[in-house]
Amino acid sequence: MDQFIEQIVTGLSIGSILLLVALGLSIIYGSMGIINLAHGEFVMLGAYAAWVFHTYLGLGLLASLVPIFFVVAVFGWVIERYVLSLLNNRPLDTILATWGVGIMLQQAVRLMVGSELRYVQLPPALSDSMDVFGISVSSYRVFLFVVSIALFVATWLLMNRTTVGMKLRAIIQDRSVAASFGINAKRVYALTFAYGAGLAGLAGALVSPLKSVSPDMGTGYVVDAFMVVVLGGVQSLAGTVASAFILGELSGGIAFLQNDTVAKAIVLLAIVVLIRFRPEGLFTARVRA
Amino acid sequence: MPSHVPNSSGLQRLIAQLAPLLIVCAVVFALPVLLNNDFLLNKVARYLVLGILTVSLGLSWGFGGILNLGQAMSFGLGSYAMAMALKLKTVPVHTGASGLPDFMVWNNVQHLPWFWEPFRSLTFAIAAGLIVPALVAAALGWFMFRGRVTGVYVSIITLATMVVINLVIIDQQSYTGGFNGITDLAQLEIFGVAFDAYGRATYYLVASCVLLSLLVAFAFTRTKAGLIVQAIRDHESRVRYFGYDVALYQIFVFALSAAIAGLAGMLYTVVMEFASPTFLGVQLSLSVVVWCAVGGRQSLVGAFLGAVLVAGMQGALSESAAFLETWTLVMGALFVLVVLFLPKGLAGLAQVVLRWIALRRHAAAGGVAQGVGQTEGST
Repeated sequence: MDQFIEQIVTGLSIGSILLLVALGLSIIYGSMGIINLAHGEFVMLGAYAAWVFHTYLGLGLLASLVPIFFVVAVFGWVIERYVLSLLNNRPLDTILATWGVGIMLQQAVRLMVGSELRYVQLPPALSDSMDVFGISVSSYRVFLFVVSIALFVATWLLMNRTTVGMKLRAIIQDRSVAASFGINAKRVYALTFAYGAGLAGLAGALVSPLKSVSPDMGTGYVVDAFMVVVLGGVQSLAGTVASAFILGELSGGIAFLQNDTVAKAIVLLAIVVLIRFRPEGLFTARVRA
Repeated sequence: MPSHVPNSSGLQRLIAQLAPLLIVCAVVFALPVLLNNDFLLNKVARYLVLGILTVSLGLSWGFGGILNLGQAMSFGLGSYAMAMALKLKTVPVHTGASGLPDFMVWNNVQHLPWFWEPFRSLTFAIAAGLIVPALVAAALGWFMFRGRVTGVYVSIITLATMVVINLVIIDQQSYTGGFNGITDLAQLEIFGVAFDAYGRATYYLVASCVLLSLLVAFAFTRTKAGLIVQAIRDHESRVRYFGYDVALYQIFVFALSAAIAGLAGMLYTVVMEFASPTFLGVQLSLSVVVWCAVGGRQSLVGAFLGAVLVAGMQGALSESAAFLETWTLVMGALFVLVVLFLPKGLAGLAQVVLRWIALRRHAAAGGVAQGVGQTEGST
C-alpha cells in the first residue's frame, strides 16, 4: 500500500513538472496554432537565468522567479515580433522557423557560458522533506506541485477574466471580425507568445535545482510537453492539466513495472494512436466553429 | 499545364528540366579524377548519401506536402538491414566461422534470433533494405492518411514513430547491439567486386545510386500519379472531389520516398562501416529537413545540393570545435532566414536569377530570343 501511494506521489511530481513546461506551450499552440519547437530552449534560458542570478547577483531562486519570467518573456516577444509574425499564413513553416531559433539560442548559450553542466541550489527553506499521506516527500516537490496549480489558475483567470484574455479569445474565434472591432491582433499575439515564453522560463528556473542545467536540456522537455498538449486537447487549459497528471502517473507507473525506455515508447505509441482517432485531444469540449 | 506532349517544345522543356540533374551527376562522377585522395573521397561519398536521403524527403515534403520529420527512420532501417548482413559475414573472434555476432555473445544470447537468420543472404538483405522501410511507411501511411491526418499531425506522428523505433533498438541490446549499434562489419561484395569504404568502387556505387534515385524521383514527378500527388499538396479536398483516392496516392509517395531513404541507409552503412541508433535519431532527421529547406524542397537537385553543401561545410569545419560551434549558430540563422524569405530555398533563388538573366538577354536582343524565358523555368 505504501508503495502504491509512493507511486502516486511520484506520478504527481512528474505531472507537475510536465504541467509547468506544457502550460506555456499550450497557450501558444492553442491560441496561435504555432508549434513552438523553441519552447525547450525557453525552458533552458529560464534555468540559465536562475543560475546567472544566483552566481553573479547572489539572488536566491525564489527571489529571482519574477525577473526570470520577464527576461524570458522579452525573448519570446522579440522572436514573435521579428520572426513568427512574418509567417502568418504558413503554419508548417513556423515549426521550422522556431526550430532554427531554438538551435540559435542553444548554440548562443553554449558559446557564451560553455557546455559544462551547471547546478542551481535548492532554496534553503524548502530543502527538507515533509510528510504526505504517511510517506516522506521532498518539500520542494510539494512546492512545485502547488506552484504549477497556482500558475494554471493564474493563466485561466488571465484568459477568462481579463480584457487581454477576452481579446485573445475573440481573435481565436475569428481574427478578421475581431480586428474589425478594433482589436490589435498583432499586439495580442506578441503578448501571448511572450507570456507563454515567460511561463516556460519559470518552468526552467523551477526545475533547475532538480536536474543539471545544460544547453541542450530543453530538447527532452519540448517533446514531453508537446505530448501533454496533444493529449489534453488544443484549446483546453483544463485538459492540459488533466493530461499532464495522467501522463505523469502513466510514465511513473510503467517505469515502475518495466523500465524508463519501455515507458517512453508506450506513452509515445499511445499518443500516436490518439492523434489518429481523436486529433482534437481527449478533453476538448466541442466549441462552436 | 499541358505537359509531356511529345512535340519539340515539350522535349525542349524536358531537356531543360533534366539538364541541372545531369550536370550535377556528371560532376559527381568526374570528381574522383580531380580528387586523388581516398580519405576525402570517402567523406564526399558520405555527403552524397545524405544527399540521396534529402532527395527522398524532398519527394514526400516538396512534392507530396507530407512533412515527414521521421525520414531518418527509413534511413536507419536500411542501414541496419545492410549492417546485419555484413555482420554475419564477419568471422567472429570467439565463436568462429558462422558463429554468433560478438555483441550477442557478450549479451549471453545462445542462438541466432529468427529475424537475423535470413540476413545470411545478401540478396535478401538488400531487398529488405528497400522493402522494409517501404512497407513500414506504407503501413504508417495507411494508418495516417486513411484517417485523413494532415499537416502538423503527420509531422508529430512520424517523429514519434521514429523515436519509438529508436528506443526499441537501443533497449533490445542483445539483438541489435543497443546503443553501440552494429560495428566491425565485413566488406560488401557483389559479383566479386569488393566495396572497400575508402575505395573507388564504393564511390562509384554511391554516385550511380545518386543518379538512379534522382532519375527515379524525377520520373515519378512527371508521371500522372506524380502530378496528382502535387495536386494533393496544393489542394487536397479539390482532388478528392474529382474522385481520386487521395490517401492511396499519399501512401504511395510516402512509401517510395521511404524506399529511397532505405537505399541511402544501406549505402551509409557501406561508407561508414557501421550502423548506429543515431542513424535514426531526431538530430539527423531534423537536419535532413534543414538541408532540404535550404536547398529547395520543390527541387530534387536543389535538395540534393543543399544536403551535400551544408553537410559538407559542417564536416569541413568540424576539424576545429570553435569553428563548428560558431557554424552551428550561423546555420541556425541561415535556416531561419531561408524559411522566412526563401520558401523555395537556393533552388528558388537560382530560378529567379536565371529568369532575370533571360529577361535581360531578351531585352538586349530586342525581343528576338523569344521563349528563352519560358524554357529556363522550373527544374
